[in-house]
Amino acid sequence: MKGIESVQGYQEEIIEAIPSTIIIVNRRLEVLYANRNYYAKSVAKRERGVLGERLSRVIPSMLIEKTGIIDKIQEVFLTGIPFDGDQIRYPGGMFYFYKIYPLKEHEESISKVVIFMENITELTRLEEELRESYVKLENAYAELKENDEIKSEFISTASHELRTPITVINSYIEMFQEGMLGELTNIQQEKIEIISSQIEHMIRLVEDMLDTSRLESRALKINKSPIRVDDIARTVLDDMRRLAGLKEQTVSLSVEGSLSELEGDGRRIKQVFNNLLTNAIKYTPKKGKIRVIITDDPKDIRISIIDDGIGIAKKDQSRIFEKFYTGSGSSLIKESGRMGLGLAIAKGIIEAHEGRIWVASEIGKGSTFIFTLPKNYD
Amino acid sequence: MRILIIDDAPEMLRAFRDILEAHGCEVHAAENGEEGLARYAETKPDVVLMDILMPKLDGISATKKILDIDPFAKIIVISAVGKSGLDNECLLAGAKKFIIKPFKIKDLLSSIDSLVAQ
Repeated sequence: MKGIESVQGYQEEIIEAIPSTIIIVNRRLEVLYANRNYYAKSVAKRERGVLGERLSRVIPSMLIEKTGIIDKIQEVFLTGIPFDGDQIRYPGGMFYFYKIYPLKEHEESISKVVIFMENITELTRLEEELRESYVKLENAYAELKENDEIKSEFISTASHELRTPITVINSYIEMFQEGMLGELTNIQQEKIEIISSQIEHMIRLVEDMLDTSRLESRALKINKSPIRVDDIARTVLDDMRRLAGLKEQTVSLSVEGSLSELEGDGRRIKQVFNNLLTNAIKYTPKKGKIRVIITDDPKDIRISIIDDGIGIAKKDQSRIFEKFYTGSGSSLIKESGRMGLGLAIAKGIIEAHEGRIWVASEIGKGSTFIFTLPKNYD
Repeated sequence: MRILIIDDAPEMLRAFRDILEAHGCEVHAAENGEEGLARYAETKPDVVLMDILMPKLDGISATKKILDIDPFAKIIVISAVGKSGLDNECLLAGAKKFIIKPFKIKDLLSSIDSLVAQ
């Protein structure tokens, strides 16, 4: 073996330094050598001078009985095959591990064997602790998973159950609005509009709940067709200008490069724009600026939605795409009137398109939400 | 125009009735698939509005059974269940259209009118 020559002359120091108990015996099972560790460890029956003694007199008889070590040594002498080790439990909760190797002097003839013995009590205890923790962890995970499933099931059921009453209410509102239930006074008309906008808000919440449960069960369906992202952005921006106008904000769109068509779900991408722009408007103060920039990158189309609003704290940035996350304690990101689902849904939709979505933001300096849609999505 | 509504929610039945009667339809109602089947044979409606989750006989099975009696039956499934693939399942069962709750009255009426005109 290469490098072994560097051991020459230091054998003794090295063997004495090995942290195992090492005992060498001859065919008559008389001890020829015991290292420093033999005397230091609990396996020792004697403090000094064990050379020439029978093995059975220098290690505890309990250990000899438990291991059957005498027979095993005889067998190694007989066969020349090393005994590769066994673990024994010793009274008092100690654990030992031992091995027996033949020392060949000439071909065929074995006159000595070396016994390595190791106290592995600590190791065994750690192993047991680890196993226990693992079981605990597994149980906790199973419990968590069950709770999560119950929660998902609840969301799904709740959103379904809410749909019927909402449909009934919405139907009557529409009948009022369509004049199917007689002419309304101006005041009645005005109040019906309020009810109508609130029920629409409720419908959006229920849709968001349903989308979330679809995302969780991976049942969110992407219906692909050729789409133009800039056209979608224009449509959404037109819808949003009224909302932004209420806060005297300016919303602009710029398209860089000549955009190619890509395969995607137009309705779902529109939903992403909707969710991101609704947030941008909400978290940007009066007279703020919101810019949408679409760029044609080599592999994907990149959409940036930039606002000069209140920004998002670093600690919130990694979590805002989680469902039901509405910002930590004092955070300004708290989504009022929503359930913290908008960004989770946006992320789900973008990832179903094999794109990416992330945020760059600094408190007080605004936020930039960026998402990409691959051109070769199929 | 004669419409049969099969839905287990009484309030929903009432809303459907109000919408459709205002539209000039003759409305018949049933509260589950089994009752719907019997009502279909009695009333021979132009269009059936069918819910999915109902006691006794669900909407998809009821759709199939009505089509066994009358292969020309025009059935619109209207459901609150938004499970993806459910629309296809209903169309495969022989429904002419799948509408999800909540719907716009305009969309509901135009779906009925265009089916009747076929």
